[in-house]
Amino acid sequence: MPGYTEALSTVWDRIRSSISSRVEEVASTYGYLSYMVARYLEILSSWEDVLELLNAFERELPRSIRVNTLRFRNPGEVVERLQVLGYALTPVPWERYSYTVVKPGRVPLGATHEFLLGGYYLYRGLASLLPPVALNPTGSDRVLDAAAAPGGKTTHMAQLMGGRGLIVAVDVDRERFRALRTNLERMGVENVVALRMDSRLVPKVFGRFFTKALLDAPCTGEGIIQLDRSRKVKTSFEDLVRAHRLQVELLRATVESVVPGGLVLYSTCSIAPEEDEFTVAEVLESSDRVEVVDIPLELDLMPGLGEYFGVGLPDGVRRCRRVYPHKHGMEGFFLCLLRVL
Amino acid sequence: MRCRVGGGELGEEVARLFGAGALRALAGYVPMYCWSSFTEVYLLREELLEAVDRVLSSGRVPYSAGLYAGRLRRSRPRFIPSHLLVERVYEALGRYVRALEASEQGVRVVLYGRDILRLSTLRCFEPIEKGEVVSVVGTDGRVYALGLSEVDSCSELERLRAEDVVARVIFDLGWYLRGGTVARERKYRV
Repeated sequence: MPGYTEALSTVWDRIRSSISSRVEEVASTYGYLSYMVARYLEILSSWEDVLELLNAFERELPRSIRVNTLRFRNPGEVVERLQVLGYALTPVPWERYSYTVVKPGRVPLGATHEFLLGGYYLYRGLASLLPPVALNPTGSDRVLDAAAAPGGKTTHMAQLMGGRGLIVAVDVDRERFRALRTNLERMGVENVVALRMDSRLVPKVFGRFFTKALLDAPCTGEGIIQLDRSRKVKTSFEDLVRAHRLQVELLRATVESVVPGGLVLYSTCSIAPEEDEFTVAEVLESSDRVEVVDIPLELDLMPGLGEYFGVGLPDGVRRCRRVYPHKHGMEGFFLCLLRVL
Repeated sequence: MRCRVGGGELGEEVARLFGAGALRALAGYVPMYCWSSFTEVYLLREELLEAVDRVLSSGRVPYSAGLYAGRLRRSRPRFIPSHLLVERVYEALGRYVRALEASEQGVRVVLYGRDILRLSTLRCFEPIEKGEVVSVVGTDGRVYALGLSEVDSCSELERLRAEDVVARVIFDLGWYLRGGTVARERKYRV
């Protein structure tokens, strides 16, 4: 039986045949490749939703910060210091130490004394806060962060763990790894072992060692078009398939590094099913050692797709969650929580 | 690069610089030394030791691990503590040692990589030795920079003119903005 990776060639045939004159017209109006808009119509089912999505991608995302309690035990101190600089902040309801910036201050957020002192981590949207909250590591966990650089989620997990337990942060990119090291040091993180290597080799080094793992996979970024408009035209379908293949290999290696009963949180900053549901489906199909479980987030996120261009996906994939800019006011994002059996 | 877990060099240097009481800041940690042309020191909690052991056993070395404690060198200054370690030492001691308290304006200037001048120095905390590490603390109690002292004692400050340099800054927190992705050997200007 052919797998979900192989099914992507069928998907591509169907995408091409679904490109109508309306799809081409909307793609041209918003500056996208036609095949992308055809996929959005398949995912969202209505032109109204597609246009809302495309309009949301045109809007700026509010910046946000996560106050770092590893360096400032009283988060109110950082908030007060930023207010003195002219900033207005509103709390993020589902992450107790995070704030949306509603009014900028006199000094850029990346240059305040509080930033240099490790008082906060700076985000360009809110969705990046979701994976650590969903995985919810504690000080008794051994956590793998399989694509860790530049360290936003690593430092977030370290904070959730109260600086205790263990995080092994792995990434392969040299320059991004330096940024990771800098962020770990700036934010006073002391429960991380940082390892520059290909994450696919983690099982060889550690065996089944971790109780929890986060794979915020490298992706095409089809959820963060607000931050990089070039993404409207720079990703071909072949690029998506290449990204999918790598993500499958990374997710398999991540699953192989986790002890039975442990959890793996797979996420991407992409709304492309090829990188999301199809990656999870391919791993589910090839292993009976893993299942999808519900994500413990009290947010009204959208379920994973059950079908895409006529290709049915495993039932469990519906338990994954999709984040859309036009529905949730964040970057486009995908989250899926897996339990290792 | 090679790494070794355990060894007394860090404790010796911390005691030499800050006194025996400062060793309380190292309690609960095991040092790890990683060396090539210089030696970086990290402090590991027990929870990290098994992971580090597996990494070293595989023939690899961690890029960093635990709390960055500073750099051991062959020449003076023989040890440059990280600002994180220095803050912990001050917390353990309950007082400043080898420190210059800088005015708000002084901190601002230091964060641009400039030296700390007499006019920006509000208070000085002994012992101070010429050529040895001294920290630059703000009035908020945070360590903003590390420098090499230009004076041999705090009393020498009285003889300095306003524009005279009290300490040559070798690391300031502005590095996190300016040098976050440069190679680590360039971190200290010494």
